[in-house]
Amino acid sequence: MAAAARPALKRALPSLRSSTFLPRQQQPQCHHHVPTSRRSLSTTPSHRNDTQPTTPSDEETHFGFSTVTTSQKRALVASVFTSVADSYDKMNDLMSFGWHRIWKDHFVSTLNPGFSPLSSTSPTSPQHILDIAGGTGDIAFRLLHHAHTVNSNPNVKVTISDINRAMLSVGKSRSAALPASQQAALSFVEANAEDLRKTRPLTPILSQTEQTFFDPATATSGLEDDSVDLYTVAFGIRNFSDIPAALAEAYRVLKPGGVFACLEFSKADKHPLFNSVYKEWSFRAIPLIGQLVAGDRDSYQYLVESIERFPRQEEFRDLIKGAGFRVSGDGGWEDLTGGVAAIHRGMKPRE
Amino acid sequence: MASPAAVNCSGAARRILLLPTTTTQPATRSFPGRLSAVTSRPITTLPSTPRTKSKSTPKTQPPTTPPPQPLQTRRTYHSTTHPPPPSPFTQAETTLLTSALTSHIPTHGFTLPSLTLAARDLSLLDISPSFLGPSPVARLIHFHLYTTRTTLPSLASQHSDLLSGLSVSGKIELLTWLRLKQNEPIIQHWQQALAVMAQPSQVPVAVRELAMLADEIYYLAGDKSVDPSWYTKRAALSGIYAAAELFMTTDKSEGFQETRRFLRRRLQEAEELGGAVRSVGEWVGFTASAGVNVLRSKGVRI
Amino acid sequence: MASPRRLLRTARQLTSIKTPLLTSQFPRHVSTTPSPPSPSPPSPPLPPKNLKPLTESQREMLSSFLRVNQAGELAATLIYTAQTPPILAREPHLRPLMKHMYDQEADHLRVFNSLIAKHRVRPTALYPLWSVLATGLGWSTAVMGKEAAMACTEAVETEIGGHYNAQIRELLKMVSEWEAEGYDVGEEFTELISTLRRIRDEELEHLDHAVEHDAQKAEPHWLLTGVIRAGCRGAIWVSERV
Repeated sequence: MAAAARPALKRALPSLRSSTFLPRQQQPQCHHHVPTSRRSLSTTPSHRNDTQPTTPSDEETHFGFSTVTTSQKRALVASVFTSVADSYDKMNDLMSFGWHRIWKDHFVSTLNPGFSPLSSTSPTSPQHILDIAGGTGDIAFRLLHHAHTVNSNPNVKVTISDINRAMLSVGKSRSAALPASQQAALSFVEANAEDLRKTRPLTPILSQTEQTFFDPATATSGLEDDSVDLYTVAFGIRNFSDIPAALAEAYRVLKPGGVFACLEFSKADKHPLFNSVYKEWSFRAIPLIGQLVAGDRDSYQYLVESIERFPRQEEFRDLIKGAGFRVSGDGGWEDLTGGVAAIHRGMKPRE
Repeated sequence: MASPAAVNCSGAARRILLLPTTTTQPATRSFPGRLSAVTSRPITTLPSTPRTKSKSTPKTQPPTTPPPQPLQTRRTYHSTTHPPPPSPFTQAETTLLTSALTSHIPTHGFTLPSLTLAARDLSLLDISPSFLGPSPVARLIHFHLYTTRTTLPSLASQHSDLLSGLSVSGKIELLTWLRLKQNEPIIQHWQQALAVMAQPSQVPVAVRELAMLADEIYYLAGDKSVDPSWYTKRAALSGIYAAAELFMTTDKSEGFQETRRFLRRRLQEAEELGGAVRSVGEWVGFTASAGVNVLRSKGVRI
Repeated sequence: MASPRRLLRTARQLTSIKTPLLTSQFPRHVSTTPSPPSPSPPSPPLPPKNLKPLTESQREMLSSFLRVNQAGELAATLIYTAQTPPILAREPHLRPLMKHMYDQEADHLRVFNSLIAKHRVRPTALYPLWSVLATGLGWSTAVMGKEAAMACTEAVETEIGGHYNAQIRELLKMVSEWEAEGYDVGEEFTELISTLRRIRDEELEHLDHAVEHDAQKAEPHWLLTGVIRAGCRGAIWVSERV
């Protein structure tokens, strides 16, 4: 099957071997950049890519409905998000009619970061929250607000980690609008969620020829075992090449008793009529809107297909349990808007 | 499905096991829960489609696994020999919630601090109760309802000497009273808990637990009805129990005597009503059959 | 209409073959022919059986089986009760036959009532509705004539016979899956399967009686049986769920 897929891929994307990798978006600080050319996704990772010809990075995985190798997927995903970094909010609004804000608010409020019982004699206990693939800061800012303002707990630190430096840069520039105390509790880190032992604080992108995604060879530090209270990932995990590896890393960095929470698009097929309407909207309208609004049909096509390929709620719950997390008995997930999105929660047990 | 034991089957018997019943109606009935296990397919890779030529029609999508049937936590068929179904609470949940129920609810009530303090007792983190779901407090109350209902059979066997001398209605009264007394340690927080369970998202859970409690009480009392009174009896008991539980939250009498009297009065009223309905039904039945017989005796061929 | 009957009869004969699936496990066989009890020495206590926990969908399935069977037997009992006076007014010689069929149906109803009580299954919620409809059906077909009443019986028994076959097949499949996985099968299910087989055989016997007594001669046969069979299927579908 794998051998047969490769020639098909090469036939379909003839430029895969020849063209070089050209990320489109190079000035993440410029919010009004209008893309002029239609970017093609038929690219090959260039020599700047850090892939060695080792087996793990040549393993087959999926990129939307196509089959690519793991390293190719990383590069292709990077190109998608680099190009949509500026219009990420717009993209989310279009895909979910603005409902993603409600989902994110619900996600953060039900996690209730920073909560401490008032009656306890000990001061408000510190918490370290890690927000993965949260480059633009949507979830992190909400976490900070909930912890510092709603729960009045200033001892909560949030680390935003993302493999894409463009997205992180957008987040950093947005964080300038936060109160100073919240900015002080926030840190930006470049990392690959599948290996959090190699991280680097965000380094601004200075030139057009720089690679916009994190290169593990430039890592300066790493996340230690048992160091995180809460690990959140919102609308990011479906882009990972190796989801079980990311879950294993989450298990490693969480403290015993720590909570893993994932907000992701999921399957809405418990309501067949609603589901068919939703599917039609996703596959027909969203790429078209992407073409009209951002001039980037392929990115939106990829995003819609990646939602379709993501495992269903039960399978993802089993993956989470397989990584060692304990889940709740009523399914282990919570459906939002009929299953269009789902929140999966798990706890690392105390051994 | 070929099993090793089926090899011993004769070919005819094996074919018959697959034979359709009639030629007119295929025997494909969809039962509420399908017997065949849902096959979960791994993420398969598809042959790639050219991305540059995007058509307006949706591209071929990967085969999706069929949606599984919704998880029912109602008890339906109780096997007398097979092991019982698993609890709706996992081991980790049970540990945390039991600790909260026993140590912290009497002082802090059904609130998040109780859960957080229980998590600290178990050397977990303050954030740990968040894994219970979107509403950890509702999960805690559901756990209390579940444990009180499932410990009712053992309570009944402890009081078996008292129960044995009673009629069915007497047993109902005693069992309901035993269940009400299980709320005693936390009764001062129960109104708050009822308010939480009255939220629209929690109402299905609360109603289901109440219905299962009524069924449990009737089963332990030895009721063997299989006609429509099965429904009316359980509905009546659910209503009476809910009213008595609410009454108990404001009852300040010694040993909750007022609640017990309230319960007795409601059960008596229900019995009288049931008796009246039965009498009316009997009268209607007798009158109708008498009328039919009179007509037949006059020669009308019915 | 003869071919469904032939198929049913063939199905009945062939499924009553002693299947080594189940007999290899227990000394008691599960064929439909009763065997004379043989005196045996007291056997040593059997080791505890390794029984697989039932899944939620299996419980739902068993619950709906027992519920719909109870509804069916209730309807059958009421049909015979309503049919008997008008038929006997015209043909008193049918009294033994009607009594025999009624007694068997009443026994079936008793069996399912006890199974429902034993396994704490919810009985059908539309009990009063089925009572009224069954009585009305029995009475109206009896008033139309003996042939119509027999055609009604034929239609109902055909549907019910096929329905029991489907249930037995599902149960046998479930049981054979357990055995394939290495679990034991308890008496609960072997008895249930044998009970269903016995009842199915008796229903098919009623079908034969109805045809012997000129069920095919009812005018219009196709309309009567068509309508009644469709009604039965609808009632079965509803009772499985409500």
